[in-house]
Amino acid sequence: MADIFVESWAPEYGSPLDNDEQLRPAEGSVDHTVEGVAWSPIDGRDDGEAVIAFVDGVQRVDARLTIDDPEQGPVPGLCGTIAAGATVWERGVPVSTIQAAEVERWAIVGSGRSESLPVIDLHPGYRTTRSSSDDPAQLMQALGDLRQAAERRIAARLAESCSVIVDGPVHERSPVTVGCIKRHHVTYLEPAENRVVGRLGSGQRTPLFTISNHRRYAWYVRLATLRGGHSWTGIVRCETPAHVPLPEAVAAADRTAALLPAVASEPHLDPRAPQNLVPIAALERELRHLMGDPGLVFRALRAAVHAEAS
Amino acid sequence: MTDASRVGRVLGSQHTNTQEFRIVLEDDEYVQLDDLIVVRTDVPKAGEVATYGVVTEVEAIYEGASYESDTHRVAELGILPAAKVRSAQVAVTRVDPETWVSPDPGQIASRATGAERAKALYTDEMTRPLPVGLSRDGEPAYADLDFFDGRKGGHMSISGISGVATKTSYALFFLRMLTANPQILGEGAANLRVLIFNVKGEDLLWLDKPNADFDDEAAEGWATLGVAPEPFPSVRFWAPPRRRSADVIVPDTGGRQEGVDVFTWTPREFVDEELLRYVLTDASDNRNQIPFVRERVQQQLRRFALDVAGEPGAIVLRNPADHDEADAGGARPEPHEIVVRDLPSLVDAIASFLEPENGGEPDYVWGGKASGGTIAAFMRRMHYASNQLGHLIRAGESRRIDRAKASITVVAIQNLAELAQRFVVGALLNETFKQKELSGERLPLSVVVLDELNKYAPRQGDSPLKDMLIDIAQRGRSLGVLLVGAQQTASRVASEVLENAAIRVTGRLDSAEAERAEYGWMLPSTRARARLLKPGTMVLSQPAIPVPLVVQFPFPPWATRKEEVARDAEGDPFEGL
Repeated sequence: MADIFVESWAPEYGSPLDNDEQLRPAEGSVDHTVEGVAWSPIDGRDDGEAVIAFVDGVQRVDARLTIDDPEQGPVPGLCGTIAAGATVWERGVPVSTIQAAEVERWAIVGSGRSESLPVIDLHPGYRTTRSSSDDPAQLMQALGDLRQAAERRIAARLAESCSVIVDGPVHERSPVTVGCIKRHHVTYLEPAENRVVGRLGSGQRTPLFTISNHRRYAWYVRLATLRGGHSWTGIVRCETPAHVPLPEAVAAADRTAALLPAVASEPHLDPRAPQNLVPIAALERELRHLMGDPGLVFRALRAAVHAEAS
Repeated sequence: MTDASRVGRVLGSQHTNTQEFRIVLEDDEYVQLDDLIVVRTDVPKAGEVATYGVVTEVEAIYEGASYESDTHRVAELGILPAAKVRSAQVAVTRVDPETWVSPDPGQIASRATGAERAKALYTDEMTRPLPVGLSRDGEPAYADLDFFDGRKGGHMSISGISGVATKTSYALFFLRMLTANPQILGEGAANLRVLIFNVKGEDLLWLDKPNADFDDEAAEGWATLGVAPEPFPSVRFWAPPRRRSADVIVPDTGGRQEGVDVFTWTPREFVDEELLRYVLTDASDNRNQIPFVRERVQQQLRRFALDVAGEPGAIVLRNPADHDEADAGGARPEPHEIVVRDLPSLVDAIASFLEPENGGEPDYVWGGKASGGTIAAFMRRMHYASNQLGHLIRAGESRRIDRAKASITVVAIQNLAELAQRFVVGALLNETFKQKELSGERLPLSVVVLDELNKYAPRQGDSPLKDMLIDIAQRGRSLGVLLVGAQQTASRVASEVLENAAIRVTGRLDSAEAERAEYGWMLPSTRARARLLKPGTMVLSQPAIPVPLVVQFPFPPWATRKEEVARDAEGDPFEGL
């Protein structure tokens, strides 16, 4: 008989457990023996890595566009701003600073149209890109892709000099970076292994496992044990690309298990605690700030387009 | 404006206005309270406008920290990125040229030094700037003398808690600045006379002696102010005679006897100058009919008084109808007449008219229609006064205080009972004011320093002394009589006296007192600080500058206690033994 729990995340953020059957991997594709250790909780180990960078990005739709073609009928488009950057935690000092922040504005026009946006008095200005689809969801996806590309760029640059943790999944071809996924769409493990996740203490991780079609190492880490929480409360899934040598992946797993609890957020301060990490939350806040006032951006857009039309 | 003086920029995340604005500081710069700031703004069509101001508050915060506990995340764990931002609140003192616009956000804010500082403090506009202290930057702060010596305003009012507010010390410092700068004071410097009452301890009896504790730091302060650190060069000390000292007249002072002159009034002077009025100065004396009897008796004293032959200063009271020419060189008292040689005998003489020994009715000429009760009350007060201040009235050679003898006259009344203190203050102020009223000239200037003003001009009640102080406050500036009044609490002093003081100064204030309307001239931030001011720091307001200045004054080069008197100044009597 299972128990009922109230999720600690504020309801508007959904639940950290959003099971999506469609994404469940094919049977047998999960290999939980890659690390070659018994399938039981492992204590995190801090290898003293001096600098940790947390990379994340945000996006915003500034305006919806419509290209009014007298023959084909209206074609949708959108204007969006993306921002990406990193909170770089120098543990020796200790101090965190926001670095490498980038802001881009994109106009995405659908149906492969060639129209481009007039010059707008904003810094940075809009660049125009095309999407073959005219499905609004696809346009959003295009904006998201642009954001992820910026995040990946920043992560790759920072990975040369420090240990990088990105918010969300990592790309299989990324350099050595750790992705930290706070929401669990999929239950990858079999019941026997899943039970170990429930038994994890704060600062402990599961052994590594691989998901064959994802080409990544993955492991679960418990950030905190919350009062009144269920067995998956405070769990994040971390991953690193499978091209990383196994010992390096193990070291990264140990390090995340040891360090992530230190940067986990408090339930009374963050509606997505503890998974929404403090450096990430601060970074998002700063990036949103850097994107500029949405009202001003919207006004500038309308003014520029109107001026060209008249 | 050099880059070196740049401290930050005008904050753009909130409105600036013509009264105050904030600046966000550079990482490697700081400002502190009272620092002077200048910001230049390009105003469309009007050109460049410089906004000058004084720092009234300084603040710092972690920008990006939204919860109090974020402080640990930023400072201790370092996991939360946050920027330390330091900012300062600036109260505008001046806009030059006078185009009243707010400074632009993002403009460079610089420290105002040199000529900029003078502009910020309006020193460039003062016709006669007199140093009145040192600002926190170590430079002199000035007050426009036009607002003290009566040209545009007069008087000074000093408030603050006893002991730590250093009111008297500041008054003396100011006097030293005044007397040591004749070139600034101009024509008023000639024959400037200062009258100071020593009301507590014997702090003021050593003004002519060097201070043994005077050190190099203090010397530096005085050097900045441009005044040689020396004791007051021209001081005379006066004290009442010690009571019951028989025929040997000794000044009633403790630590200092040499160089202290004794002052008394003769009965003749008492009558001629109508000093009776300052005997009955208690506020309660003005109720009922007592003032009526007092006026009547005073009038009759002038009519009846006759000098006594061979006894200078003594009088007899004789009906004017019986005066004859033979009395011109001094009357010979009749056996039944009381020779008035002191206050007790004067009281007896008055009693012989108001309360005849035969139990008869009071003499109508002296008592008028006053009831027996009123007359009895009057006489009761006269007997009490004669007990309290009888020793101040004595026949013989005149021992009046001669203010011409020195530029500073210190009158030591600390050992007198309150009634007697009020009498002396009243009599001397009356004398000073009368002289100036007669001459009708503003010059030479006459400065009166009076501590515990609340005793002499209390807010509640009426008395002849209070009336006179109000009169001085209101008319004194045109007559060149300038009052430097000090009090612990301005709220207990007659408002007419306070309102007429152009220059207002406070030392440390009681926190409840600081909130009162009397201190409305202070900025809210200065009020809050007034509770924390250290001795030697004062807040000074003057009409020439719209914000109060916080000034410090250096340790005095004159002694304020016997122990401070430099040994070599006293001369060691045992030297060479």
